[in-house]
Amino acid sequence: MASAIEIRDLTKSYGDVRALDGVDLDVPEGSFFGLLGPNGAGKTTFINILVGLVRKTGGEASVFGYDVEDDYREARDRIGLAPQEFNVDRFFPIREVLEHKAGYHGIPHDEARERADEVLKRVGIYDKRDTRFDWLSGGMKRRFMLARALITDPDLLILDEPTAGVDVQLRHELWETIVDLNDSGTTILLTTHYIEEAERLCDEVAILDSGSVIEVASPEELMDRGTDDIVVQLRDSPTAVPDFAADDDRVEAVELDGTRLVVTAQQGGLVAPDVVQALDRQGHELVDLEISRTSLEEVFVEMTRQGEGRATAEVEQ
Amino acid sequence: MSLTSLDVTGFYALLRREVLRFVRRPRNTFVPPFITNVLYFSVFGVILGERINEIAGVPYILFILPGLIVLGAVSNAFENASFSIFHGRWNRYIEEALTSPLSYTSMVGAYVLSSATRGVLVGALVALIGAFFTSVGVAQPFYLVAFMLVITLLFAGLGVVGGLWADDFDDLTMMNQFILRPLVFFGGVFYSLNEIPATFQQASLLNPMIYMVNGVRYGFLGVTEVDPNLSLGVLTALTLGVVGLNVVLFRRGYGLTD
Repeated sequence: MASAIEIRDLTKSYGDVRALDGVDLDVPEGSFFGLLGPNGAGKTTFINILVGLVRKTGGEASVFGYDVEDDYREARDRIGLAPQEFNVDRFFPIREVLEHKAGYHGIPHDEARERADEVLKRVGIYDKRDTRFDWLSGGMKRRFMLARALITDPDLLILDEPTAGVDVQLRHELWETIVDLNDSGTTILLTTHYIEEAERLCDEVAILDSGSVIEVASPEELMDRGTDDIVVQLRDSPTAVPDFAADDDRVEAVELDGTRLVVTAQQGGLVAPDVVQALDRQGHELVDLEISRTSLEEVFVEMTRQGEGRATAEVEQ
Repeated sequence: MSLTSLDVTGFYALLRREVLRFVRRPRNTFVPPFITNVLYFSVFGVILGERINEIAGVPYILFILPGLIVLGAVSNAFENASFSIFHGRWNRYIEEALTSPLSYTSMVGAYVLSSATRGVLVGALVALIGAFFTSVGVAQPFYLVAFMLVITLLFAGLGVVGGLWADDFDDLTMMNQFILRPLVFFGGVFYSLNEIPATFQQASLLNPMIYMVNGVRYGFLGVTEVDPNLSLGVLTALTLGVVGLNVVLFRRGYGLTD
């Protein structure tokens, strides 16, 4: 599949600080791609290089085959950006702000007005079209950021923390809109602190830490690398349970607390039938069973913590 | 959609946005020069002017009129460009244009042309106010139009540099009060070069404002203390240089990108 974003050895330095340190990344066309990382990992710097707000120090970056510096006009014409920080023209009502933005992308005025109305309706703030941005509520501001990114009908939609600070209902509405866009072929690049958001929406995620990509995989693949808890509720408190770890190297820990047995294992869903059979063979009666899957968040925290460890070790050396 | 057609539409969209910004805020853009110039004409032209002899064969109020037009035009052209760019940077909404496919030349063109438009409009407003106080004609229409265009474009271009350079609103005030105004006030708006000592006359010739004021004065009154063709040539070259510098600064992201 062709790449919507192609990055090779991308670096960005601010003095002695390396904000991006040799990033290689491919975002497939039509994908829903997540960019995860702790604060200061370089996510916004990465995005800003694509749209021309930050100049790279080295490496290559292209959007749909267009170099972001040499062919900046072609590259930027294909991108719709909803940044994390509000950067909206406060002099004009929001409909006019959208018309201007569309105009900068070469869309004639009449068509720009039609599109402005269309996207304002799509994000549910059409009745606020004659209001200036500053007078919108926090949720409406977030909706507007998405509307502005959509006004140019981009092939690549970049969303930097699009649901930061919004309530649950609005978050779900925004998710629905974004998923519809992706279904209709728009490539989405999403950065988020809500790992659940990435887990739910993304086909693939890249984990960025200290300016480097430390992993690229689907959320499912990443979650498979974590451990799950198989929680079994027994009828009676057993004096002993089978040595699950000896029989299966996927099992990492077994904990018995009265009638509650917790088996911690990789690929818990596959291990669970063996646990049930072994308990059954020993005559234990099961009352309840639950598999608590590891979350992407736990995997993410673990991976970025390892990154911290690496960084500390490097400093100490 | 070809990039050529895209840029014409894009250029027009940014130009329109920039013009609407000042047209819709007359209290900030047109009322202040209106009041200031009514005061100038009343005090310097009528009250003091009646006690001052004619200069170069014209009444004092008529002598200062072109200078006041230049003062209003260049101040507003400069202020518009510097404020619009700095305010856009400060509030980051300039990114709406920067992240678009507009070429850097189109961006500069829109900022410079819109600011020059404001300068010309304020100049016309001052001329109208002047016409209320005294009878004024146009002796050299070509020179009047040419000088007005060149000086407003030049100061719009300088305003772009100022808007990119400023780090704070104080920097904008400083440029206006400590650089622009002294140049204008020592630029022969209120006095004739022939009436000041020879040393100051020579020093004044280093002030580009002298050439602008005299050029516009030549357009209105047909009298000048410096060669209008030479002035026009030098100012045109300077304008092209400054606008060229604007494009280079935009291309390099000076004050705009990290």
